[in-house]
Amino acid sequence: MTNINATAPQRPEFVRQIITKTLGVVEKPLSLWEKLYNIGAIRKVVLLIILASVWEIYARSLDDPLLFPTFSATIEAFLSDIGTGVLLHRVWLSIQILTQGYAAGLVLAALFTGLASMTRIGTDLLETLTSMFNPLPSIALLPLALIWFGLGNGSLVFVLIHSVLWAVALNTHTGFQSVSPTLRMVGSNYGLSGLTYIAKILIPAAFPNILTGMKIGWAFAWRTLIAAELVFGASSGSGGLGWYIYENKNDLEIPNVFAGLFTVIIIGLAVEHLIFQNLTKYTIQRWGMQS
Amino acid sequence: MTDKSAMNPIIDSGITIPAGEKASPILDVSGVTIQYKTTSFIVTATYRIDFQVYTADRFVILGPSGCGKSTLLKAVGGYVRPTEGELRLKGRAIDRPGPDRMMVFQEFDQLLPWKTVKQNVMFPLTSSGKLLGKAAEEQAMHYIDKVNLSQFADSYPHTLSGGMKQRVAIARGMAMEPDILLMDEPFASLDALTRQKMQEELLRLWDETHFTVLFVTHSIPEAVRIGSRILLLSPHPGQVKAELNSDGTDWAIREARMLSERIHDILFTDVVEESDHD
Repeated sequence: MTNINATAPQRPEFVRQIITKTLGVVEKPLSLWEKLYNIGAIRKVVLLIILASVWEIYARSLDDPLLFPTFSATIEAFLSDIGTGVLLHRVWLSIQILTQGYAAGLVLAALFTGLASMTRIGTDLLETLTSMFNPLPSIALLPLALIWFGLGNGSLVFVLIHSVLWAVALNTHTGFQSVSPTLRMVGSNYGLSGLTYIAKILIPAAFPNILTGMKIGWAFAWRTLIAAELVFGASSGSGGLGWYIYENKNDLEIPNVFAGLFTVIIIGLAVEHLIFQNLTKYTIQRWGMQS
Repeated sequence: MTDKSAMNPIIDSGITIPAGEKASPILDVSGVTIQYKTTSFIVTATYRIDFQVYTADRFVILGPSGCGKSTLLKAVGGYVRPTEGELRLKGRAIDRPGPDRMMVFQEFDQLLPWKTVKQNVMFPLTSSGKLLGKAAEEQAMHYIDKVNLSQFADSYPHTLSGGMKQRVAIARGMAMEPDILLMDEPFASLDALTRQKMQEELLRLWDETHFTVLFVTHSIPEAVRIGSRILLLSPHPGQVKAELNSDGTDWAIREARMLSERIHDILFTDVVEESDHD
């Protein structure tokens, strides 16, 4: 509704003094419940407790320890094998191989992506190799690796490298490519080139992608290792966690099978929360690249 | 279409330069044509541009969008090679980017997010080997102080406002004490109030150190306020239309009209009325 004759009323002007001192911020502390709920670790622990209780209740109602042992039975087997040292020894063997393969994979990925970021033919090579080998399951290479490197850690490290390399290289390469043109120009404005340009501009700028690649690579490596040990675990003389699971399955010690799987999960959670989350917190979160 | 003077009739601004001030230019751009290829065309961004920048100039390149002014600045920065002509900095031909021509970009993401304000300002100093350690830190803090950001020296860029980020970028450029500071529409992404404040601050900084700056903008008021010498480019492709002096006040001394109006007329009317009367 408009009225052609309408006029806004005349009002006096005013200028105010802004109070700067007495204006205190009114604060109200959060309640204890809200404070606890704000801690991520507590929320996750609560979730884990709920999941464990669901497991326990379901297993008890099923009442078939050979098919699906209870949570408490699994924990019991887990603790007793920790006590005897068997489980810890197996974990140690697995972790050793895993870190070797993982580290070698990371180094190779760094070489490939460094080459790819410097030359166009390097980019083509990396893109062709990743599209060829990334979809190829590492475990499919194990028989071949056994022929090439014999029954030993060499074969396992080989398949681990294969599982880590392409995932990390692909993510790092994508990260390099998505570094903003402005940052690239800033880098070359400083006179940086070659390796220093990669180290000082590309790697930090692409760190969110690199971290994602490292996480995926880590998960792939675990899967590959457990699978390889399940199939050919005894090959390396003394098997790791996968072999532990396989052995106990043969003995129908199902709670111990669960304890083995449980250990894999625990290690996964620990690495994610202790290593990767802290790495995220002190790098990309602090830099404002991730909220 | 090859004779430049036939295409660009030089209009006398009426201001006479006192004789005897024949210093050699710090930046000499002569006959620069820049072309770039798209998938189906070769586009000429600028055509046979000539201009000279002298020490302590506040040289502004002004023109509507599409006049190739940013491309021209990138050529000075060493990112783009001209297809014809030459760019010389202190007599040396420009063939690659380098820290003797520090660049301030329009984008807010020009600061390295993984470095604090102080580290950002220090980084070009140390990586070019100009200053190291304590000396670099002192130099950085000196210029951070100049842009009034001392209390944010240890903050990461993502915690700063747009205007503060641009001030850090300016401090970073100035701390290198380059031969020439290149600014590519550095205030274009800022809100009007902040932009005005930044312009004042840039002039204050210039008053303190008299650095040489080459400044690209599409805003006539900004050019008039910032520049001591204004190069006007025509669009598609960019050609030099005029070079004017400005004292920053926008008051016409001889022509009884504002400098900004005059610039507007030159840029946006093809037939420029003669203004030779004194």
